Amino acid sequence: MNNPDFVRQASSFNASRRSGASLWQALHIDPPLLIGVCLLGAFGLFVLNSATGGDQAVIRRQGIVMVVGLIVMCAVAQFNVHFFRRWAPPIYGAGIALLILVLFIGAEVNGAKSWIDLPGLPRFQPSEIMKFVVPVLLAWYLASRPLPPKFKHLFWSAVMIVIPAGLIVLQNDTGTAIMVFMSGVFVVLLAGIRWRIVFAGLFVGLLGSPAWYLFLAQAHQKNRILTFLDPYRDPTGAGYNIIQSQIAIGSGGIYGKGYGNGAQSHLDFIPESHTDFILAVLAEEFGLLGVLFLIGLYLFVLLRGFAIAYAARDLFGRLLAGSITLTFFLYVFINMAMVSGLVPVIGLPLPLISRGGTSIVTLFIGFGLLMSIQTHDRQKFP
Amino acid sequence: MTGKWQLKDHEAEKQLFTRRLAVAAVIVALLFSALIVKLFDLQVVQYEYFSARSDGNRLHSQYVPPARGLIFDSQGELLADNQPIFNLTIVKEQVEDLDSTLAFLATLIRLSDDDIAQFQNRLNRNRVPFSSVTLRYLLSEEEKARVAVNSHQLAGVAIESQFVRSYPLGSLTAHSVGYVSEINRAEMNALTDAQKENYGGTYHMGKSGVERTYEALLHGTVGYEIVEKNNRGQIMRRLDRTDPVAGKNLTLHLNAKLQMAAEQALGDFRGAVVAIEPATGGILAMVSKPGFDPNLFVTGISNKDYSVLVNDVVNTPLFDRSTNPYPPGSTVKPFIGLAGLQSGTIDYEFTIQDPGYFRLPGVSYRWGDYTLRTAIGGGHGETDLQKAIYQSCDTFFYDLGHRLGIDSIHGFLSQFGFGDNFALDVGYARTGVLPSRDWKRESRGEPWYPGDTINSSIGQGYMWATPLQLATATAILANRGAVVQPRMLKAVDGVPFEPLNNDPKPEIFADDADYWRYIHEAMTMVVHRPFSDEFRDYGTAYESIAMQDRAMPYLMAGKSGTAQVVGISQEILSSEDIIVSDLNKDHGLFVSFAPAMHPEIDPKISVAVFVENGEHGSSVAGPIAKQVIDTYLLEILRLDFGAADLEAAGAIVTQLDE
Repeated sequence: MNNPDFVRQASSFNASRRSGASLWQALHIDPPLLIGVCLLGAFGLFVLNSATGGDQAVIRRQGIVMVVGLIVMCAVAQFNVHFFRRWAPPIYGAGIALLILVLFIGAEVNGAKSWIDLPGLPRFQPSEIMKFVVPVLLAWYLASRPLPPKFKHLFWSAVMIVIPAGLIVLQNDTGTAIMVFMSGVFVVLLAGIRWRIVFAGLFVGLLGSPAWYLFLAQAHQKNRILTFLDPYRDPTGAGYNIIQSQIAIGSGGIYGKGYGNGAQSHLDFIPESHTDFILAVLAEEFGLLGVLFLIGLYLFVLLRGFAIAYAARDLFGRLLAGSITLTFFLYVFINMAMVSGLVPVIGLPLPLISRGGTSIVTLFIGFGLLMSIQTHDRQKFP
Repeated sequence: MTGKWQLKDHEAEKQLFTRRLAVAAVIVALLFSALIVKLFDLQVVQYEYFSARSDGNRLHSQYVPPARGLIFDSQGELLADNQPIFNLTIVKEQVEDLDSTLAFLATLIRLSDDDIAQFQNRLNRNRVPFSSVTLRYLLSEEEKARVAVNSHQLAGVAIESQFVRSYPLGSLTAHSVGYVSEINRAEMNALTDAQKENYGGTYHMGKSGVERTYEALLHGTVGYEIVEKNNRGQIMRRLDRTDPVAGKNLTLHLNAKLQMAAEQALGDFRGAVVAIEPATGGILAMVSKPGFDPNLFVTGISNKDYSVLVNDVVNTPLFDRSTNPYPPGSTVKPFIGLAGLQSGTIDYEFTIQDPGYFRLPGVSYRWGDYTLRTAIGGGHGETDLQKAIYQSCDTFFYDLGHRLGIDSIHGFLSQFGFGDNFALDVGYARTGVLPSRDWKRESRGEPWYPGDTINSSIGQGYMWATPLQLATATAILANRGAVVQPRMLKAVDGVPFEPLNNDPKPEIFADDADYWRYIHEAMTMVVHRPFSDEFRDYGTAYESIAMQDRAMPYLMAGKSGTAQVVGISQEILSSEDIIVSDLNKDHGLFVSFAPAMHPEIDPKISVAVFVENGEHGSSVAGPIAKQVIDTYLLEILRLDFGAADLEAAGAIVTQLDE
């Protein structure tokens, strides 16, 4: 199943820095990814410091979350990714069970009943973990089947994606449901699903969206779409966030107003300036150059993710790495696009920059998996 | 199951994956490009627009209202001050739900329906969008604290400090100094654009009295500042400022101490006292009683308080008695007498034999002598002008008036300001009526009858004069013809001020300057001529003034008047809790100046007293005038009159004619 040729090929990717690689390899750390992630986190703390007006309590907490995330990342990286492959079905089953459990005993935060809050344990969201559980399961399922996947396999894949996504929708957390759904879809896309099926799906989705809008969409969802199309239909209400955020971004110009000088954010015109809308703070204070710098950092991490996916030793690793990388990209893109008014507002944070807790640790789990895929020695595996 | 065991082509699968990964990378690149295009559009293409929007968000140009000029009395006592108060204001545009915000506020502070109604009124006026509108004035410390604690739930609500007018003497200056209150819609619409600009940030303007007359001086010039506000409208920084120019401080001729003395002298009576400095025309005191608390109007008088003031139809506290006309009665006699001398109609030797009534030739109607109504028949006997004045002989003046004719009377008296407003800065004062043939034809459409002249010559009939006019005419008399025009304002920012006079009045010349002495003597006799063996040969006010104070260090010239109540409105008559007989009582008047007949000291004060339903001029209004003059000459000016001079002058007054 795993031929030596491939091993040599993959190893040659790292040939240029073979001498230093062995230590990192032993530690199961991927230096480029680590550097990229650390730069992003540091830049995030820097921006957050301005966004919160130098609220040291928030900064310290965010720093602690970052450190915890790094530790979790390293810990995850110690597991050979095939451990997860082997245990994929039980892990998935447990995840689904937790999602069902949440529906009954879940704690509600910000309108989403998605938290498990057991005494003695840190509060966490099972739905967050599903962003990895679903691609792990699908990678496990599709990697052992001939590619491109046959229709039957696609059907079961769809079932595996829709069950958790549906449960998360029931928790009233559409944003996470979309991400979980897409994390699975990315595996299927990378597994070589035929384009005609993809286009057929897009076509059906396109045709179905008016029906969705007319019959299924909830009032607040319709409102978000209308606001996206014309923020000025309710400039002080629904459109306020996006208008103020565009003003902040636009007024930043090329060079920005300077660190700590963002009038829009410091005078509280930008709502959620610590969390979902932190890009507006960054864009106002650092201008287009600052945003390009951030995009550059993200691109660096993404490219490393692509490289890991490309060089992965087996199909499972490839699919999983590709899906994690693309999910990360989707996060980045949706947030940046919604804050700048390119897509409707969907409540997602800007990865590693926005203030957060579980969501940040979850990201680090993803990086840990990427590192695991990259660093676990191929030879050890049978 | 066959598919599962189908042989996998790893190389092909890897190539497939790699192709898909490449496609994904391309899509990622495309999406990032789209994002960068969007950001470029916002940050480069539309930079100017958003930059302006950002500044518009945070930068607000706002007015800095000038401090209103203070008003002082002639001694430097504050009559109108500015006091800081705290108001609850609302920016309507920043409030999400006005009704629920108001309901919530009502749980925090005292908020009456009246407050809300007035607030709605203010909202409906012309106003700049996003400007704050006052909901409640005068927050207490506790209310301020409650609002502050809940400020996070009160977007658009703020506590603003403001300087507002305060009148330390309260009702004492309500009519003369007047008051400011909120600019109403009509007043706002009457302003020119430049004036509107100058009233930006100012909510009050003078509504009556000096406050209104000198609004332009008191208001000052508006300033501006550019402030940075956060999204709750709180001011974070002040960036630029053009200071306002404060209004001018005004010093009035008014003397608070004299004003107070006049108010006290009136006692429980309704009425008015006007005191003028004959040398300048400066109004030393101008009291209308009852007054009202002008401070109530400053922050918006409540409907309840206002209806109390308006519905008091008997006391009519809002009605300024000092500048509204009444029949002057016998107080005009010295002027008519002077007219007789000046026209040559009579001389010092001229006498009549008074039977107690007057009849026009060929007319059977008898004009009775009002002053003798209660006496036991008979007239004043042989009467010359002086006697006619100090005994207030109506018959003499009927006769004199008939001889003079209305044209002469009108021509002569108009020089003293009757029928005209001589005041330079009391524009709101009424002119009263100095009747003439033209006047009657125009206003009544009737010709002038000889009987009208008879009534006019004792200050009845069509003749009406305000206490201010009487005080002015008396001052001119005291000045021996030097016309002075009454004025409130003495100095502006400490610099003596001469009010604009578009229509200066000429001095009054008598053919013989001795006429003035003669009239002064007659009026001094009114007060000082004592009882003698001669029947009724004493001044009408002797008993109530000079006899009460035998140690008077100065002589006072005066003339009493009693005016019939001309008609009481049905509204008052039908009201239940009023003793109508009291309202039918005559009005008492007294005009006076002092010191009189002093060889060295010119008259320092002229006073007109009007006592509504006071019944008698001499016994009721006279002592009030005396008290005011005493206060001015003895307590404020502290004049030393010299005993010898007083005795000499007194001898003239008391000597018997024959």
